[in-house]
This record gives sequence, structure tokens and C-alpha cells, in this order.
Amino acid sequence: MDVLDKLKNDWNKNGDRYPKISENEIYAMLHRRSSSIVKWILLISIIEFAFFLTLTFMLNDTPSAKSIVEFIGTSLNTVFGAIDMGINLVFMYLFYVNYKKITNTDTVKNLMSNILKTRKIVSRYIFIKLAYTVVMSLVVLLILYYNDPEWLATFHNYEEHGKSVQATLVYFIGGIIGVSLIVTVLWLFYKLIYGILLKRLNKNYQELKKIEI
Amino acid sequence: MGSDLERSFVEQLQENQNLIHKICRLYTDSEDAHKDLFQEITIQLWKAFPQFRGDSKFTTWAYRVGLNTAITLYRKKSKTINTIEFNSTIHKVNQEEYNYEEEEHIKLLYQAVHQLNDIEKALVFMYLEDKDYGEIAETLGISEVNARVKMNRIKGKLKKILNP
Repeated sequence: MDVLDKLKNDWNKNGDRYPKISENEIYAMLHRRSSSIVKWILLISIIEFAFFLTLTFMLNDTPSAKSIVEFIGTSLNTVFGAIDMGINLVFMYLFYVNYKKITNTDTVKNLMSNILKTRKIVSRYIFIKLAYTVVMSLVVLLILYYNDPEWLATFHNYEEHGKSVQATLVYFIGGIIGVSLIVTVLWLFYKLIYGILLKRLNKNYQELKKIEI
Repeated sequence: MGSDLERSFVEQLQENQNLIHKICRLYTDSEDAHKDLFQEITIQLWKAFPQFRGDSKFTTWAYRVGLNTAITLYRKKSKTINTIEFNSTIHKVNQEEYNYEEEEHIKLLYQAVHQLNDIEKALVFMYLEDKDYGEIAETLGISEVNARVKMNRIKGKLKKILNP
């Protein structure tokens, strides 16, 4: 008799060994809040979408953004804005469609794969938004370099002392370090949440995939 | 109290609650965690209940949601203060019915199962519930052959845990 058959004998014996939960207790449970991983993913994803959306609107309203609009022209700015909004809407739609596919009566494998897919959509969203932020920041850095009166005054000051190359280097290296610092912090923070939340799910999904090899 | 749907759900769950307790028993090792998981499974079952049409048995439908919750959806609370082994407490209740050695042995078996990973526990659960390999494969979303192979490996693994 193997190990599991011995256990099976015990398994089917006496059903009264477990605490009996009353109907009233079950009623109470129905109205308690779930702490399932899907709920957390939904919550965090909404926060992420909201964060980048607010960032989009906030950046459009700053004085420097307004002066940039003057430099690059309203039509180009509208194009940039439209692309950005398009990215937001497409990803939110994809997220919603995939989120709806998650049902707890699915096979274990499909359930896990749908959750991971939904999460991946948010991952891509964050990645694209960060990349977009980097590109835009560099473009802005370049535009300001040629057009910002305050910077131009400082630059001429250095130029008179024959230090124009150093000034340019400091300007760009400083700008790039600033941008990468912000992006790195955002990315690490994001990875941390993602890692903690999905550690167990990922492990179990890999385990199930291993069976199929 | 509550709607007809709610009443029907609570009645059926109350009647079949042992099934959920059994899942909790394999996946948790403290009384608190057991209660926690039981509650989450109940909430998940209730969420899915409107789609339950009754063409399968309540238990068949419920154990699938239960396993999905235990493996995928449930987020363990990170408290490990409770050191009392739940197995030993529930066994104490029925102590007179067992001879001591037998009871110790069963306890070791459960402890061995606790060392398996979440997917392996699901296979063990379905095996103990007498599900055939077709159903085991269907529930997990893997092929029947692979389910069989995995089951044999699990038996080997358990043997090794028990006789190192």
C-alpha cells in the first residue's frame, strides 16, 4: 500500500473532525472583503494608470511646458499629446478586456496565465510611458539648450571665458543624470510591487509549465 | 435574511463545507490560516455562484474554485506567530478512536504533504478525492499523461520525505 493510499483511508474517515461553520458565519463571510491577488492587481494597476494620467496633465500645465509649446509650435504639441492619450486609451482598453477574462472557475493554468497576461499589459504600459518620458525629456533638453533665454545668457557668459564646451557638457550630463535618476527610482519602485505581488503566482505557474515539458 | 440566491448558496456550502476544510487542511498549517483561506474560498465561490448552473454537482464545481483560490488567488498574510500545529489539534478531538501509533503516522503523512509545492498539493487533493486522471488533467489544464507522470513522481517524493 503506498503512502497516499494510507492517507486516503484517513481522509475519508470521520467528517466531524473539522470545525463546523454555521450558516450565520457563512452569511457574515459573504460580506467580508476579499483579499485576492486579482483585487490587488486591479487596485495597483488603476493607481498606475492614474499616476501617469495625472503626470500627463500636470506636465502640460507647468510654465516650462507652456514655453516649450511656444518653441515647438502648437500643432506638433497636439500630435505629441494625441499620441500620449492614444497610448493611455489603448492600454486601458486592453487591460479591461484581459481583466474580464479572469474567472475563478477556469482551469488552474488558464487562470494563472490570464492573470499574468493582464499584469504584463500594465508592465508594457509602464515601460512605454517611461521610455516616452525619457525621449520627451531629452527632446525638451535639446529645445531648451537652443531656445531658453536664461540658459543662453549663462552660456554666453561661459563662452566669453572660453569654456563653452565644458558648459555644454555640464548641461547635458546634468540633464541626463537627472532624467535617469527619476526613471530608475520609478522603475525600482514598480519592480518591487510587481515582484512582491506575483512571486508566488509566478512560481506556481513555472511549476505547472515544468510538468508539461 | 438575504436573497434566494444567497440562501441557496449558504445552504449548499454549509452542507458541503468539509470539502473546503479539506483543501484548507492541505494548504495551511495553522488554525488562523485555515480560517483565512476558508473565508477567501467562500468569497470566491459566492462571486462565481451566479454562473453555477447546476449541470455539475455543487462539490465538483466548488473544489475547482477552491483549488484556484488556494493556488493562485489567495494572498497569504505574512504572520507566522502561530506555532501550534493545526493537525495535532484536530487530531486530539478524536483521540479515543485512534491508537496512538497510527495517529502519529498519519500526522507524519500530513506533514510530508505540507512540504510539497502548491501544484503538487492540488494533485494530492484530487487523488485523495478519487478524481480520475482525466478530471485531474482538466482541472489543472495539463495533459492526462503528464498528470499521471507527475502523480507517480509525487508518490516517490513523499516516500523520500518519510524515509530519508
